[in-house]
Amino acid sequence: MSNLNELSIQEAAAKLQAGDITAVDLARACLAEIEKRNKDLNVYLEVFNDVEEQARMADERRKAGESHPLLGIPLAIKDNILIKGKRASASSRMLENYVATYDATVIKKLKEAGAVFLGRTNMDEFALGGSTENSAFGPTKNPHDESRVAGGTSGGSAAAVAAHMALGALGTDTGGSVRNPASFCGVVGLKPTYGSVSRFGVIAAVSSFDQVGPIAKTVEDAEIILSTIQGKDQFDSTSIDGNLYPKHSEKKVIGVVEGLAESKVSEIENAKRKELEAQGYTVKSISLPSLKFALATYYITNFAEVSSNLSRFDGVRYGLALKGDSLAEDYAKSRAEGFGPETRRRILLGTYVLSAGYYDAYYGKAGLAREQLRKEFETAFEDVDVIMTPTMPDVAWKIGEKEDPLSAYLADIFTVPANLTGNPAISIPAGLVDGLPVGIQLTAAHGDEAALLRVGKALLGESK
Amino acid sequence: MISKEDIQKLAELSRIKLTEAETESLQKDISNILDYVGQVSAIEGSADKNVPLNHNVMRDDVPYEEGSALKDARNAIVDAFPKKEKDYNSVRKIIQKDE
Repeated sequence: MSNLNELSIQEAAAKLQAGDITAVDLARACLAEIEKRNKDLNVYLEVFNDVEEQARMADERRKAGESHPLLGIPLAIKDNILIKGKRASASSRMLENYVATYDATVIKKLKEAGAVFLGRTNMDEFALGGSTENSAFGPTKNPHDESRVAGGTSGGSAAAVAAHMALGALGTDTGGSVRNPASFCGVVGLKPTYGSVSRFGVIAAVSSFDQVGPIAKTVEDAEIILSTIQGKDQFDSTSIDGNLYPKHSEKKVIGVVEGLAESKVSEIENAKRKELEAQGYTVKSISLPSLKFALATYYITNFAEVSSNLSRFDGVRYGLALKGDSLAEDYAKSRAEGFGPETRRRILLGTYVLSAGYYDAYYGKAGLAREQLRKEFETAFEDVDVIMTPTMPDVAWKIGEKEDPLSAYLADIFTVPANLTGNPAISIPAGLVDGLPVGIQLTAAHGDEAALLRVGKALLGESK
Repeated sequence: MISKEDIQKLAELSRIKLTEAETESLQKDISNILDYVGQVSAIEGSADKNVPLNHNVMRDDVPYEEGSALKDARNAIVDAFPKKEKDYNSVRKIIQKDE
């Protein structure tokens, strides 16, 4: 039985339920593909040694009468999500040998559903970056062109799905970290509404942005994972239930942002817009004047929260602990050795923008801009179901091409707004530019993931 | 351009030891990045008038019960301490005599 690893979750679930295949067959198919390609692609930092055992248990649960669309489905998990008893390093030397002491809530929910965890996937260290080049354990290569990046920060998770080394995956999205690699690798990536998925047990990067999201081959598959992991959690006080935001009725209107610069992806975006018009959607031009400040606002907030979130890594309670001549030296040595260059850079920048003399000029202004943008989005969603933009302004770049950190930051122009405002957004594979995949991004009103899924399915031809 | 002394001060505040070469490259990178994000100065309005949408959500101040998931997690966290005495995390002395 070959190529089971190429099935979608939905297809595999149907075959499992019909008894045509077992979870062990599925797991073995993925493991065989991992064996073949992981050395070259550097997708998994670790493949778990109990995958077949997990799959056998899933088969037994099915025999005992259980059924869930994820029962026996092999998934890849980003290295910043805790699985009890397994390592979780956030691709950092700092946590290289850290073993998780509890399950993240998303993991607990996936275990209850019976999903099989294949391994932990490579990422930019502490989810800081956009290409997985900031991993302490080497970059993940793009399955479509191994000289190029897979995107990031969830590059391993997206590449695992694109290369059929997993049926689906979990990533986390702080400024596009699920959608960016989904675009570069040609798969679906969804960032839910802020708070709709618990972050208990997820290593924090920027707490006012971070969300866990699914990466999958189809919109339907992303929906299956999302519906399994979402919901309010007593262990995450920022989590929300599905009824917090008012329900939106379908308008069949797509919003496009006025005055957006042309990019390599514009042509494909126009074509996709026409496809939707042919399916009965109308297109409306919308104005988001604060968008021009989005990147600056995003990065100021990112630096500030990163510098405070990562202050917990001091070599005292867990993680890398190096000794110097004094306690202050212990800290300085552990943090110099444990953190990579981009992480250190952001901690220094965050310390700067939060310092007494500059706080108002940077962090204070960023807070204002963020609130203005949120209001502009809210107004826009009175008239449209989703806002359509490219996910990334370009195709995946060559590994090592963006040496200047600022040039890498600028690639996040389309993805950061949804994190600033907390809106849900999805990247849908839309075609090829220069032979490489690009994605189209849809953003919806708070709590209206249904619109993303509906329009996403229309774009991918999954509508019934 | 941000000064070398400023970079060293930031490193000290951040508890990160920097090499000479790193201090220089950070001086350049951080200056470029601050120039870029400095465009937020064009945003009108005063930061102290910004009322955040979010508010704190507190849990009840009661101890976790024996056998609960969080009690187990607590014990696992204690087990992960690099050095411990009983349930205490053993850290080195912070107050030191000036030589």
